[in-house]
Amino acid sequence: MVFSTYAYGKKTWLLVFARMVTIAWSLFTAVSFAESPRYMPVMPDYDLVFPKDYGSHQGFRIEWWYVTGWLETPDEKPLGFQVTFFRYATDHDSENPSRFAPKHLIIAHLALSDPAVGKLLHEEKTARESFDLAYARQGNTDVKLDDWTFVRVADGSYEVEMQGSNIGLKLSLKPTQPILLQGGDGFSRKGPEPEQASYYYSEPHLQVAGTVFRHGKSVTVSGSAWLDHEWSSDILDPNADGWDWVGANLDDGSALMAFQIRLKKGGKLWAYAALRDAAGHVTLFEPEQVEFTPQRTWRSPHTDAVYPVEMRIRTGETEWLLTPLFDDQELDSRQSTAAVYWEGAVTLSRDGQPAGRGYLELTGYFRPLDM
Amino acid sequence: MLKLININKGYADGRQVLSNLSYCLNNGEYVAIMGDSGVGKSTLLNLIAGLDKPDTGEILIDDVAISSLDDDAATRLRREKFGFIFQAFYILPHLTLSQNVALPLLLNGVSIEAAEQMLVAVGLQGRGHHFPRQLSGGELQRVAIARALIHRPKLVLADEPTGNLDPDTAHEILMLMRTEIKANGASGIIVTHSKAAAATADRVLVLTKDGLHPAVLN
Amino acid sequence: MDHGLIFRWLLFGEWRSHLLQAVVVITAIALGVALGYAIHLINTAAYNEFSAATKNLTGQSDLQVRGTQAMFDERLYPALMARDDVVTANPVLELDVVVSAKQTERSDNKLKILGIDLFRAMEISPDLIGMPAEGKPLDGLSDDAIFLSPAAMEWLQVKQDESLQLRVGTQTINFRVAGGLVRSRAGQRIAVMDIATAQWRFQHLGLLSRIELKLAEGVNHAAFKTKLTQELGEYYRVTESADQETRVNNMSRAYRVNLNMLALVALFTGAFLVFSSQALSVIRRRHQFALLRVLGLTRRELLQQILSEGAVLGVVGSLLGLALGYVTAFIALQYFGGDLGSGFFKGVQPALFFSVSSAAIFFLLGLGVTLLGSAVPAWEAANANTAPALKSGSEEMALKRLARPWPALLCLGLAGLFVLMPPIFDLPVFGYLAIALLLIGGIALMPYISTLFFSMASTWNNTRIYNVIAALTLARLANASNQASIALGGVLASFSLMVAMAIMVTSFRESVDDWLEQVLPADIYVQLAASGDQGGFQLPQQEAIAAIPGVSRYDFSRFIKLTLDPGRPEITLIARPIDATDPRNTLPIIGNTVEPGLLTDDVIPIWVSEAMVDLYNFTVGKQVRLPLRTAGPDTPQFIVAGVWRDYGRQFGAIQMQLSDYQLLSNDLNVNTAALWLQTGTTAEQLMASLKNLSFGGALDITQSSDIRTLSLEIFDRSFAVTYLLEAVAVVIGLLGVAASFSAQALARTKEFGMLRHIGVMRRQVLRMLAAEGGLLTVLGVILGFVIGWGISLILVFVVNPQSFHWTMQLHLPWSWLAIVALVMVVLAGLTALIAGRHAVSGNAIRAVREDW
Repeated sequence: MVFSTYAYGKKTWLLVFARMVTIAWSLFTAVSFAESPRYMPVMPDYDLVFPKDYGSHQGFRIEWWYVTGWLETPDEKPLGFQVTFFRYATDHDSENPSRFAPKHLIIAHLALSDPAVGKLLHEEKTARESFDLAYARQGNTDVKLDDWTFVRVADGSYEVEMQGSNIGLKLSLKPTQPILLQGGDGFSRKGPEPEQASYYYSEPHLQVAGTVFRHGKSVTVSGSAWLDHEWSSDILDPNADGWDWVGANLDDGSALMAFQIRLKKGGKLWAYAALRDAAGHVTLFEPEQVEFTPQRTWRSPHTDAVYPVEMRIRTGETEWLLTPLFDDQELDSRQSTAAVYWEGAVTLSRDGQPAGRGYLELTGYFRPLDM
Repeated sequence: MLKLININKGYADGRQVLSNLSYCLNNGEYVAIMGDSGVGKSTLLNLIAGLDKPDTGEILIDDVAISSLDDDAATRLRREKFGFIFQAFYILPHLTLSQNVALPLLLNGVSIEAAEQMLVAVGLQGRGHHFPRQLSGGELQRVAIARALIHRPKLVLADEPTGNLDPDTAHEILMLMRTEIKANGASGIIVTHSKAAAATADRVLVLTKDGLHPAVLN
Repeated sequence: MDHGLIFRWLLFGEWRSHLLQAVVVITAIALGVALGYAIHLINTAAYNEFSAATKNLTGQSDLQVRGTQAMFDERLYPALMARDDVVTANPVLELDVVVSAKQTERSDNKLKILGIDLFRAMEISPDLIGMPAEGKPLDGLSDDAIFLSPAAMEWLQVKQDESLQLRVGTQTINFRVAGGLVRSRAGQRIAVMDIATAQWRFQHLGLLSRIELKLAEGVNHAAFKTKLTQELGEYYRVTESADQETRVNNMSRAYRVNLNMLALVALFTGAFLVFSSQALSVIRRRHQFALLRVLGLTRRELLQQILSEGAVLGVVGSLLGLALGYVTAFIALQYFGGDLGSGFFKGVQPALFFSVSSAAIFFLLGLGVTLLGSAVPAWEAANANTAPALKSGSEEMALKRLARPWPALLCLGLAGLFVLMPPIFDLPVFGYLAIALLLIGGIALMPYISTLFFSMASTWNNTRIYNVIAALTLARLANASNQASIALGGVLASFSLMVAMAIMVTSFRESVDDWLEQVLPADIYVQLAASGDQGGFQLPQQEAIAAIPGVSRYDFSRFIKLTLDPGRPEITLIARPIDATDPRNTLPIIGNTVEPGLLTDDVIPIWVSEAMVDLYNFTVGKQVRLPLRTAGPDTPQFIVAGVWRDYGRQFGAIQMQLSDYQLLSNDLNVNTAALWLQTGTTAEQLMASLKNLSFGGALDITQSSDIRTLSLEIFDRSFAVTYLLEAVAVVIGLLGVAASFSAQALARTKEFGMLRHIGVMRRQVLRMLAAEGGLLTVLGVILGFVIGWGISLILVFVVNPQSFHWTMQLHLPWSWLAIVALVMVVLAGLTALIAGRHAVSGNAIRAVREDW
């Protein structure tokens, strides 16, 4: 869930690769402002159908498969990872018969959080859906971008393979629990207006096994991950400033997801949380029951942005304390995609006791200086 | 200082000009050489100056055989030890009088301050900046005398120095020449047809095909 | 010794008295260096910029895959992308599209458009990615957006967010200018849009122009290239950036080298002038040098003195030349562009680049030429016998040594040998050497010939008509002509070259004119504003054109670009109806042909241009294969049935029967229709009917007479530079004549004084001088004409075929040559007269004084 506010400075524009911004990150703002009527709206009371809804929904503007998780290397060192595949429908004329016609874009993103490195390692790629070189297939999860693939195989597990120039991974993600429909039936509201919503389901507690490559060396890893699949045509409110999100696999087998959308003028536009216990009982929290309270901030030496890297989250009566794996998990890709946000592995504790591990995302904290 | 030993010289066409010529000129001596046209007076001067080489025989300047030196060495000897005065003056037209006079000093690599003084000595004071075209024939020859003596040569060679001048001017020039050669302690050889000119020398010699002989003065 | 002071005194003394000569030498060297340097600067700037711009279009790819024809099937792209050894494949569709607003500017109405996939281009040619407006980040993928380079925006007078109309076949399409291409080269007129948009809007669905590859790390480029070439087969070419450079280099090399050669000719002429000027100066100062020798200057010192004087002139001239050349190049680039009107480097705006090494080379060339010109006279003066040199009348003696005919004859003999030599690296190196030798030999022979000529004239005059002035003139010319001949050396060189260039250009122009008449037999030519190999007239349109009343006959032609050798520019394949019984009726055939009766059915006849013979060895009777995509499974065999002359396409062209082509390729479209008028129909009527066709607005209709006029205009424009060079050479030559005549007249003041004393009248002296000048010039003009004619033969029959791969017939511009010759004689006579007036004006006494 990368509702990163698209922000670019003049300097960025001068850089050769600045065009990529154009695509990868701006499209989210594009969603919020310019909605083309030809895309399908997200309506309540729709029943998600599987396996069809594992696949791509071409009728909707934007869609993503988003995996975060904690891995362990053979020497028992923790390693966070994040894998995202987006599909984005452009405004390109649907009549264009060219095989190159860029009606849909596929964007993929890979990041590793290694405390030993002390900062994020990341890779990204974008291509138009064409010639079977890049696609997001309907019917089941099957996304490809050149040699990067994300596929749901027959036994329900996911095979992901991404090999960048510096880092890469080849993982198998095996479900251990049923899917979790957000909002109760997969209809997830993102604001006070009824159309500000998405279809959204999660698969927590995926059991991970595979290999991670860093600078030509590979290590065997295992761990646990969280998958989100979400699609929509209209999400963000124009007054939204940024987004705080957490998804966590708790040690007792339960799963927690919470987010808030912050207002530009300060305060909260919308919030939501869901907690499913090991037995499968789901508790949903209304916006007013969810509260994010910054505990400690960290100023990025790279961008000067200030992030609440330690966050206290209240869901109903429960308070969760989020502590980062390390502070500098800022993703500063001004050189390429111009996106700047914080996306990192965190541990959760409840009442001072370790409760689980997850990923925290903090967007909208970077404001480029207007020069 | 000048010794001619058994000089033989023929023209390219086979005509023999000088045969077995021998002569010795002492330091400070000023002689005139007379003779009929074509007898080889100018050839003799060219040989002495190292501009031409004898077929046989030797020419010694201060015991150095100029006749057997190569061109560069002969040239160096010439610029150091000789001064020249020509019938047609040969003053470089695009140089000033001072520059013309200073040439030998420059060629010998010494200071050129003496040039103005030398012009005074030949009666051309204050005219150093003039160009040759502003001068009369007599004045031009005065410049030539100054140039011939400025670098204190051992030997001054003068080829018909008054041939282009009227008798009065010629006399002035001859006297100046003599005075200056003597004053500078040089030896001198003047080749001339004019008895009057020859008379200004210490001795008069006649060049015949048999050699150099003292003139019989009548 | 203080040589420096003597050196300066003598130098300034000489300059004071003969300033004009020094100025002429400096001017000659400066102009020669300036021209050479300017042309070098312009050529280098244009070439580098063109090369950079070409590179800019292909980005930083390791290899490029192209078709032998302009377009190929896009399915190659996923196939290449799927390979493990390929990291990225960047598909490009490159088209030259007619801009509606510029449609009337026939020769310059196309915009180069690159259709790209920006996600692929990002990794290979990021400079080609357009910068969208703020808030419209996805315009790079839009179906109506076009990004323009600054130069294109300026040319088209459009700004961001405005609309741009482009013509495709019979349609006009609107695009929205979405932004700029900030990283394009200055002056580069290009546009970029999404590849899918380009394929769709310009009717190129399924086609690509090239695919640029970035290979995986560790892949051996050469091995991969070989492997891929084999796998792709004969219809594809795999090229490297180096091939691209070779191609660009090959494209313009002949033009650049020949232009540089022309510039060097100016410097070469300057060398003759320096020689004649220095030789005369040395002869004039023979007495002075002899005196200096007597006073004690050694041979070496004298040699140094004279060479140093020359060197000073050379240094001053060369430095002035460099400055002048730089300024000239700057101005030329500003006002005429990098190709000086020749069209070789279109669409770039080169910037001058000062490099020390090239400036140093031209400086040394200028200095070297001056020293070369001074060397012979200096050597002669230093080795002269001193005593005789003091005497007057020895000048001609000195020149005897320079007037020996044997070295001259040797030069001429070598020149004769060199014209038979083949080109080196496609360049007529020996041809140019032969020209230089012919010039040197001819000019060196001048004194010898003039003595011979004037002795005979003198004898004739003495026996037939006894005239004192004539006798004096001829006697002088017969006995003392060497000085005068040397004076003429400079002008002889420039006159010869002018004659040569005039003959060559006339021959070329006449041949082009004849050729145009042959290749444009129809009255009206109709084209569609097409792009690439696509488009053109489809069958219904062809029928509509054929059905127009007033057309007595029509021919359709198809033009295809083919790449035979990736290191060379594309050739053109022209398919059109050719008279099978006698191809000479259709084509400007030269030489032998394969008799139509001897052709068998299994080989297809093709007729190739001369360049094809030189570059690809397509000789008559040879069976060849062409990388022409065919509809059937068989690869057809072709036979070269004849060679035709083509001045239009320097890099090669092939013609074949349209019916053969259509049978082979199944491509029934044509690009051009040639229409003959029926008697009673005027061209205007027919053109009006064509305009009234449903697609009439998209037609490009021209009368053949207009094409001819335009072609000849382009021809004249591209030779404008050579006219300029000729004029400069002649002016320098005449200046040289003026300087040496006036110097000689001064030197002969005494002679004139004597003549006046014995009763020759002033005007008789002047008449004598004018006659001398005139007669010498007449001889010079005759000799110059002969040498020039010889050089023109080399230019026409050696240099042109070897550099541009076309031959031509010799045509002599008689009237023009006669006028120039007359002007030269009159000018030289006048010059002699003016110089003489100055010498005669002094009084007799002064004349006697100025003995030497």
